[in-house]
Amino acid sequence: MNTEEILTTAKELVKSWDWATEVTQPAADRLDVKVKELKELIPIIVALRVKRLGYLSAIVGLDPGPETGELEVLYQFCPGNAVITLRVRVPRKKGSVPSLCDIIPSAESYERELREMFGIEVTGLRTPDHLYLPDDWPNGVYPLRKDFDPKKAPLPK
Amino acid sequence: MATSKVSETFVVPIGPQHPALKEPGHFEFTVDGEIVTNAYVRLGYAHRGIEKGAEGRNYIQSLYLTERICGICSHIHATAFALTVEKLAGVEAPPRAQAIRVLVAELERIHSHFLWLGVAAHESGFDTLFMYSWRDRETVMDILESLTGNRVNYSANVLGGVKFNVDNEQADAIRKGLEFLEKRAHHYLDVVINEAMFLQRTRGIGTMTRNQAEVMGAVGPTARASNVPRDVRVEAPYAAYKEYPINMVLDTRGDVEARFVVRIKELFECCRIIRQILDTLPPGELTTRVPRKLPEGEAVMRVEAPRGELFYFIRGNGSDKPDRLKVRTPSINNFTTVIKTAVGHQLADIPMILSGIDPCFSCNDRMVHIQNIHKHDENWMTWEELRRYGIEYYRRIRK
Repeated sequence: MNTEEILTTAKELVKSWDWATEVTQPAADRLDVKVKELKELIPIIVALRVKRLGYLSAIVGLDPGPETGELEVLYQFCPGNAVITLRVRVPRKKGSVPSLCDIIPSAESYERELREMFGIEVTGLRTPDHLYLPDDWPNGVYPLRKDFDPKKAPLPK
Repeated sequence: MATSKVSETFVVPIGPQHPALKEPGHFEFTVDGEIVTNAYVRLGYAHRGIEKGAEGRNYIQSLYLTERICGICSHIHATAFALTVEKLAGVEAPPRAQAIRVLVAELERIHSHFLWLGVAAHESGFDTLFMYSWRDRETVMDILESLTGNRVNYSANVLGGVKFNVDNEQADAIRKGLEFLEKRAHHYLDVVINEAMFLQRTRGIGTMTRNQAEVMGAVGPTARASNVPRDVRVEAPYAAYKEYPINMVLDTRGDVEARFVVRIKELFECCRIIRQILDTLPPGELTTRVPRKLPEGEAVMRVEAPRGELFYFIRGNGSDKPDRLKVRTPSINNFTTVIKTAVGHQLADIPMILSGIDPCFSCNDRMVHIQNIHKHDENWMTWEELRRYGIEYYRRIRK
């Protein structure tokens, strides 16, 4: 499949199931999908994998700013030359996304990172402990959030 | 990241370890007698907060920051960052600059693969191969130094191009070096597929089928050794790879031996591309102008580092600083494959399975913790002792 076919297939897939609120193409090789509801996330990913478009390259957490009261999670799928981004918005307080580990085992480290860096709970994650941050890292301090206060981070011993 | 099969008997933690390493990790292997039944990974001992650090620095400063993520594949990180910024700014570096980027990237790949060959040989107890391959690696290090001024952190990139030119004299020196390196690589290929003692440590060890490699998201030579056609240079050609196409090196066997063969065969491919670039280096400028402030938007870039797919994501907010920088290094994916393939293997094979993915950590001394839950006694050994254990184990069964 060339890039165009990949993007068309993915676009049709998302549209036919009415899974997205908005589908845009920010660049010739990219497709941006705003997922309608969190519960649609797993079915979309399963559908992408069935079509062999489900190679997960990274999970990117984004903080649009404390004033929005939300956080964003970007699932970047990179089949061939194309990049398909699934965008999910979760509330800043007690936001959670489902774990993809049952479908994509390699998602585990990405999810552990997302959890500790952004404070987004990942439901169904088998090892929800720290991957990068120290064991004595205080609860409720998430370094990649925009309102992170470095003074709260423990000093190296 | 745990895979459980039966009740735990021994736990063999490897790490935490030397802070000077690129990607240090802590692994815990649970063993039942000789057989590994469970594995777990913990990273972050060298976490320096670079993603957060980039948010407080402008794009030019971040270029130097990202180059320092990795000491071995530093150039590819800077290239990935520069390409992502250029994508976001909507500019493209001149063809000559793109070709020089690829030239340095392939030289770096040669240096990285030679380094790995030595490290992996050392883990198996084959120190002669280790000494020779590191001696030969000096040739490519000298080339890189004469070209860029540095042995590591070449700093070849600027936003919008490269810093230096390649003249005919340098091109001849590179050609001469390549001739020697290629000859040596042929010899090493012969050694790794024919040396019986060495094959005992590599053939049929850590085997990963194509399906397993795909599901676990393996990247780079680790994936290609399991016949997964995953190479960003081929799938999504960046910089000058469109003009200088790569032939993907694949192997169907998926064991540690296949990983040796794939990496060594890639050396030939590197030499071919470098020669082709030197012969047909496009004329023209070395840099193009990149605005200091970048527009609002997002850019995604994937490049092929020596260890596999490297993912960069930048979100710009209209200022001269990135709003978010995300880096996903290839070893993160390949660690998953170690965790899953180690289960069912002998403890003595762990050094080879670990070094087979080229995590750049096995070469250093680290603590190993053996815990016997049934007997309630604990046993500490260093990585060196585990390596020795593996070598002794195979020496015993040879008799």
